[in-house]
Amino acid sequence: MTKGQKISQQMLVICGLGLMIILLAMGGCGKKEEPVETDMEVPTEQPAPPVIEPEPAETETTPMPAVDFAAMEPAEYGIEDVFFAFDVYDLSSEAMTILSANARIMREHPDLVWLIEGHCDERGTVEYNLALGEKRALAVREYLTSLGVPARQLRFTSYGEERPFAMGSNESAWAQNRRAHFANP
Amino acid sequence: MIPSFRTSVAAVLYCASLVLLATTPVLAQRGSPEVGLSIEKTAYLKFDILVEPLEVLSGGQRAIDHAEKVRWTIDQDLEYSGYFRVGRDEEEAEELNAQFAIEGVLEGPLPDTVTKPEQAKSVLTLRLVSYPERQVMLDKRYGPLPSQLRASAHHFVNQVVELLTGEPGICLTRIVFSRGTGDRRDLYVVDYDGENLLRLTANRTLNLCPSWSPDLSQVAFTSYTDGQQGIYLFETATGKVTELTATEGLNLGAAWHPDGKELLVSLSKDGTPEIYRIDLQGRVIRRLTHSPAIEISPCWSPGGKDIVFTSDRTGTPQLYMMDEMGANRRRLTFEGQYNDSAAWSPSGEQIVYACRIGNDTRLVQISSFGENRRILLDPSWRSCEDPSWAPDGRHVVFASDRTGTFKLYVLDVVEGNTRQLTFGEEPDVTPAWSP
Repeated sequence: MTKGQKISQQMLVICGLGLMIILLAMGGCGKKEEPVETDMEVPTEQPAPPVIEPEPAETETTPMPAVDFAAMEPAEYGIEDVFFAFDVYDLSSEAMTILSANARIMREHPDLVWLIEGHCDERGTVEYNLALGEKRALAVREYLTSLGVPARQLRFTSYGEERPFAMGSNESAWAQNRRAHFANP
Repeated sequence: MIPSFRTSVAAVLYCASLVLLATTPVLAQRGSPEVGLSIEKTAYLKFDILVEPLEVLSGGQRAIDHAEKVRWTIDQDLEYSGYFRVGRDEEEAEELNAQFAIEGVLEGPLPDTVTKPEQAKSVLTLRLVSYPERQVMLDKRYGPLPSQLRASAHHFVNQVVELLTGEPGICLTRIVFSRGTGDRRDLYVVDYDGENLLRLTANRTLNLCPSWSPDLSQVAFTSYTDGQQGIYLFETATGKVTELTATEGLNLGAAWHPDGKELLVSLSKDGTPEIYRIDLQGRVIRRLTHSPAIEISPCWSPGGKDIVFTSDRTGTPQLYMMDEMGANRRRLTFEGQYNDSAAWSPSGEQIVYACRIGNDTRLVQISSFGENRRILLDPSWRSCEDPSWAPDGRHVVFASDRTGTFKLYVLDVVEGNTRQLTFGEEPDVTPAWSP
């Protein structure tokens, strides 16, 4: 689990506990059931409700740090993944276009940190694919920094062929899986 | 379970000449069948052997069952070694023209038939004798026996193999590997015959590419903490896990030096994946490669002087060699667009690696001079990856998805026989055979 997710989960746990206490206080014992448990396991995609109040703030002064990026997936900011050909870690012109747009968004959020995950299709060896995923992530990072995104905003890792996005042993699945994916660190 | 040995003597001899060529590449011209060069290996001989039912002196039905289990284990171990054709009674022995026999005696009550441990004085005697003369060649006594019947049988067969072939037996070896899918893969260990499956990790993340230390006390492997790769050491006696290195980026491919005091790893802390020698505290002893390409999958020669590794500096991953200082680099593979995962045989003469052909990865064997290339299994095996040699230099464990899921198999590279090692629905990958 990433730090961000941890933080957001802790928040959720705190919220959940707070809610519990309030409910208990108001409704006496209420029903002693599991829902409390499920509350605590609220999936991370759901923006944590009351804790975060970053004030959409077009003033763009100093948005609350740390909590922000845990709440939103990079895709929600408009950050897009980029794709690669087989056994290739050079960026295509299409990938560069996407990354330019990503870089603009990243520069607009200088407080946010992004994790670049390198992924591969299932063909080839586990170890080489981990290295290939790494090179893809590094190529993306390098290009983003060349576009003015500070390196401190970019973390990277490789999952090789371990975490496919599409299942199946065919070109359309493979093409989906050869990517640099943006995630929360 | 027990593989049938279809291989005829002629086929064995054919294999013998093939391997003979491969082992003497300096002398033999590529492709010219120069048989007759001296070779003291007995690896291509087949011994015919009678395994008799054990004599049970006391202990009742349970002892009889255990004796049968011992016999069955010996039988299977001999078959798995690749050196034997086994006869189960005198008639079969006659047919095989057996030169050897294994006989044994189990005496005394077994531990689970008695209440006090001191009463458990069962003793297992196993003997290798010439046949039909029955001259004793090996005489071993095991006991007082706890629940070590299988281990005793394994130990005895190791002795038999070593005595007759000069090669170490592998009956007491184990294989560590990674099992699981998606976000979770755990390390498991299993006996060489598929028994005693044991899970080592349970940390809810990816655990990959395990590698035994030469003294078996530790397993180095790659794992993730908060999305960051690291190489960790698993202490086999205690289960304790310590971090070896977790620099930014790739931390992969731990390969132990034969002396157990250092490892080869791939790290990308200096920009791109490069190969380093590090000590057991994770400190860099020497950086061995300098290129903008991918440099991974290092493997020591058995003597610990040379290294075979993968580099894609020419645009495709290929195998290269270098010495322990990173010098004297030379390319080893020229065929194929994708060669990786080199495993150096214990004798130092052979290298098996993974080569992508079409959409599948196939196992290929070459001499350590890069010659006598041969593909090891037919295309029905689909993708075969991550080969690792047994200490006998004859067997290789690898992962294949021939059933649709990656499972582990053992290949006898001399005769081409295979057997499935692991079962179940979850994928098994990156096996490493213990020394």
